Amino acid sequence: MDQLLNIPAILAIAFAGSILVFITHSVFPKLRTAIILIFTILPAYLVWQLPADSGLVHFTLGGFDLSWGTNAYSRLFSLLIAGIGVLATIYSISFMKKRSRLGFFYLAFLTTISAMYGIVFSQDLLSLFFFWEIMTWASFLLVIYYSFEDQKAGIRYFVFSAIGAYSLLTAIVYLYSFTGDLSLAATFKVIPELDTTQITFITILFLLGFGVKSALMPVHVWAPDAYRSAPSPFTALFSGVLSKMGVFGMGLVLFKFMGGLEQGHIIREILAWLGGITALLATFYAIFQTDAKKLLAYSSIAQLGYITIGLAVGTPMSVMAAIFLALMHGIFKSMLFMGIGSVFLQTGSLDLNELTGLIRRMPLSFVTVLMGIITVAGVPPLGGFVGKWLLYESLITSEHYFLVAVTFISSTAAFLYLYRLIFSIFLGQEEKEFDHIKEVPWPMWVPMLILASLTMLTGLMPGLFFEPIAEAMKFLGFQQVNWEMSVLFNTWGNQIDLLAMSTSIFSVFLLGLAFITWKNYKTTRYVTTKDIHTSGEIPTENENLTYAVDFYRPFERAAAPVFKYKVTHFYESFAENAEHLFDLLRHVYTGNAQTYALYVVIFLVLLIVFSGWIFGIQI
Amino acid sequence: MSFDWIKLLGFIVTPLIASVVGFTYMGLSRKITARVQNRVGPSVSQSFIDVVKLYSKKTAIHHGLMQHMGPVFAITASITTLFFIPVLKDSLFFANFSFRGDLVFLMYIMVFGQLGMALGAGQTGNPNSAIGVSRGLSQMVGYKVPYVLGLLAIMVHFKTTNLQELIAVQDGFRNWMIFQMPLASIAGLLAYLGFMAYAPFDVPFAPAELASGPPSEFGGKYLALMMTSRSIFTFAKLVLFVDLFFGGASNFFELLIKTFVLYLFALFVGLVNPRFRTEQSIQFWWKWPTAIGALALLLVAWKG
Repeated sequence: MDQLLNIPAILAIAFAGSILVFITHSVFPKLRTAIILIFTILPAYLVWQLPADSGLVHFTLGGFDLSWGTNAYSRLFSLLIAGIGVLATIYSISFMKKRSRLGFFYLAFLTTISAMYGIVFSQDLLSLFFFWEIMTWASFLLVIYYSFEDQKAGIRYFVFSAIGAYSLLTAIVYLYSFTGDLSLAATFKVIPELDTTQITFITILFLLGFGVKSALMPVHVWAPDAYRSAPSPFTALFSGVLSKMGVFGMGLVLFKFMGGLEQGHIIREILAWLGGITALLATFYAIFQTDAKKLLAYSSIAQLGYITIGLAVGTPMSVMAAIFLALMHGIFKSMLFMGIGSVFLQTGSLDLNELTGLIRRMPLSFVTVLMGIITVAGVPPLGGFVGKWLLYESLITSEHYFLVAVTFISSTAAFLYLYRLIFSIFLGQEEKEFDHIKEVPWPMWVPMLILASLTMLTGLMPGLFFEPIAEAMKFLGFQQVNWEMSVLFNTWGNQIDLLAMSTSIFSVFLLGLAFITWKNYKTTRYVTTKDIHTSGEIPTENENLTYAVDFYRPFERAAAPVFKYKVTHFYESFAENAEHLFDLLRHVYTGNAQTYALYVVIFLVLLIVFSGWIFGIQI
Repeated sequence: MSFDWIKLLGFIVTPLIASVVGFTYMGLSRKITARVQNRVGPSVSQSFIDVVKLYSKKTAIHHGLMQHMGPVFAITASITTLFFIPVLKDSLFFANFSFRGDLVFLMYIMVFGQLGMALGAGQTGNPNSAIGVSRGLSQMVGYKVPYVLGLLAIMVHFKTTNLQELIAVQDGFRNWMIFQMPLASIAGLLAYLGFMAYAPFDVPFAPAELASGPPSEFGGKYLALMMTSRSIFTFAKLVLFVDLFFGGASNFFELLIKTFVLYLFALFVGLVNPRFRTEQSIQFWWKWPTAIGALALLLVAWKG
């Protein structure tokens, strides 16, 4: 019973914390930091203590039976929320130090975290929807936190969230009409009894609802601007964890709701291909971004595409790949947004054309971003490789040949934007205007480095993550999930031994580094980036030698035919046309009473003429 | 226990042999290029002389830690790639880690060195390096497309991703992959030209416009390490493509003939072609090679 009470306690503490911060901010500003930390770390600790299967807490609200509880699947996601939530909060304290309206910021920030706990602990559809909406509202407030100009991004986010929410609500109500009971357990039981059309309809509605949050094409258009506009600590949470709520929901829908839709079903295939197209196009858009956060936002969309592919294909290996990638994405994307946020805090810019040569000014942020991009790229020996390997092998062995080609190509193209990100900000010419830049304070780099070391750990021993994932997959209905601590293998019996790989990489790397350092340590001296080979010309102090603008011009030329169309344009023209349509409607309402009288007469005449049709009455 | 020592020796000997063969091929390529252009050319041992000289030179300057580590990243990737490729068929001595890895891993580890080099070159601040990296990465997205399609067709057809098993199915001259699966092999071999980066695909280095691009700020021991890495990596790539399409090799004599013929293929294509512009180079691979690769994959998928 002790354990059972914990879930309401966690939610109560978490929500109370957000309100308390709002109040104390105006009354005792000095206590604010302490309260923020207590009210994020305490719930996180309680979540950590929760058992994998706690049973259900029941209570009645407005005639509906609500229930909360945990299982292995929700525990996995709750730990992700707890971990990234705490780190992002610690990071935010230094980041937001000099900004105004902190009470408002933390109210929304902590509410988002609490609502996410609520989503994963919900064991009935009503509380799931309820927390889902709280999360949307709170995150919307953060998207528009900075300025009035962000309204457009905020509204776009909100409109798409609303579409998602309505389709969720429709699906829930439709399901309720069959079950008369909103609990997940009852729902899982009833669904196999429905016929295929009904299941298909419900599934599509649910997938649309959850797909909006995980930025699946074609409902991704809100993401780049919303990620761009939100403050960096929140973007870390937004992209790292909040988007995983969509993944969480999709997992539930695809494996628990859709008992009737087996592997290779058309919906699964379409969803997998949507994921593939999302990954490919988002990667290509990311290459041409000049704003660091927008670039990462597109990258985020692409990564979520991979996760969707894994979930949609639905073999044990691909699901494991998807959940592993989801956890990894939580880690590396928060890490990258934190790293870029640090740069923004110190320089005030996110423009890849403007920033340059910060490596010696901000070495720790550089290391974070470096580890981050290696993980995103999926290059061994870091954790990203494990996820990519599992995904490719699962797609090859489950006969999705062209999908794996698309995935592979988009992941190769990812090198382009990743290199541009790190090169434009940290490498290249060092400029005078950035000479005064200092590294960020420790509350910011400690969380970043913790996450960075996690990517290394998961690259060497992914088994640490496979264990809880295998438990979670048992809940989803995969009884036999094979995994080993440091060996990956596919269903054809091919394997990659991560220990052999890392032995080779680390021993050669250390030998090489020792050799070059030992030999060069005394003889070489540091020279500036102006002191370079320029075919005999000596560059003057103010000569611009930075190559950053239009970094991938040749690639742009080569790929130009592919990029004529953009989904955003489609929605914009749709909105425009809709506006014109409503404009036409305006002409109907002339404001003249005689016209209205005419309408009434016409309506009556039509009614009489077609009454046989409409009412089945013969005159 | 004694067996383990022999394996350890294998790990030391393989990179040494690889670098010797790689340097010899580089020397030969300079000689051949010179003969084609009606020059006398340097001696075949010129590459060895260069690298020994560079190793014995004092390095005077560096631009920071990332540049310092760049060549180390490169050589790490080259040697690790080599360890996961079976150098000789049925030889445990040169097998190293090749039973413990697969093609998907090889595709990724081969990029590791390029990424490290790109980062190192980036810190030097030389605009030519940055342009070279930008071109190199762009071109990679070009040739990876037919490469992936071709390799996928092969992996799917034989239901394995392990290189050792792929060599095993190519027993005998008539079973070489190039005869068993000609379309996939053609796509793969066209992509191979991109891997080797000889003309017309030498856009990242472009000696005449970019002053050899990414490596241009590296001197002394840095350059020596990079040259060693390049020779090992050249050998590793040649062995990989021989293993994939020409049935591997059961002794060193066979291996040298096969790899040298493959090397000459890239070299001769380069000798008679001027350099592409970057976008031409990318579009070259996105047209016919990709179509051939896609057709190969389609045939395999269709056959089930």
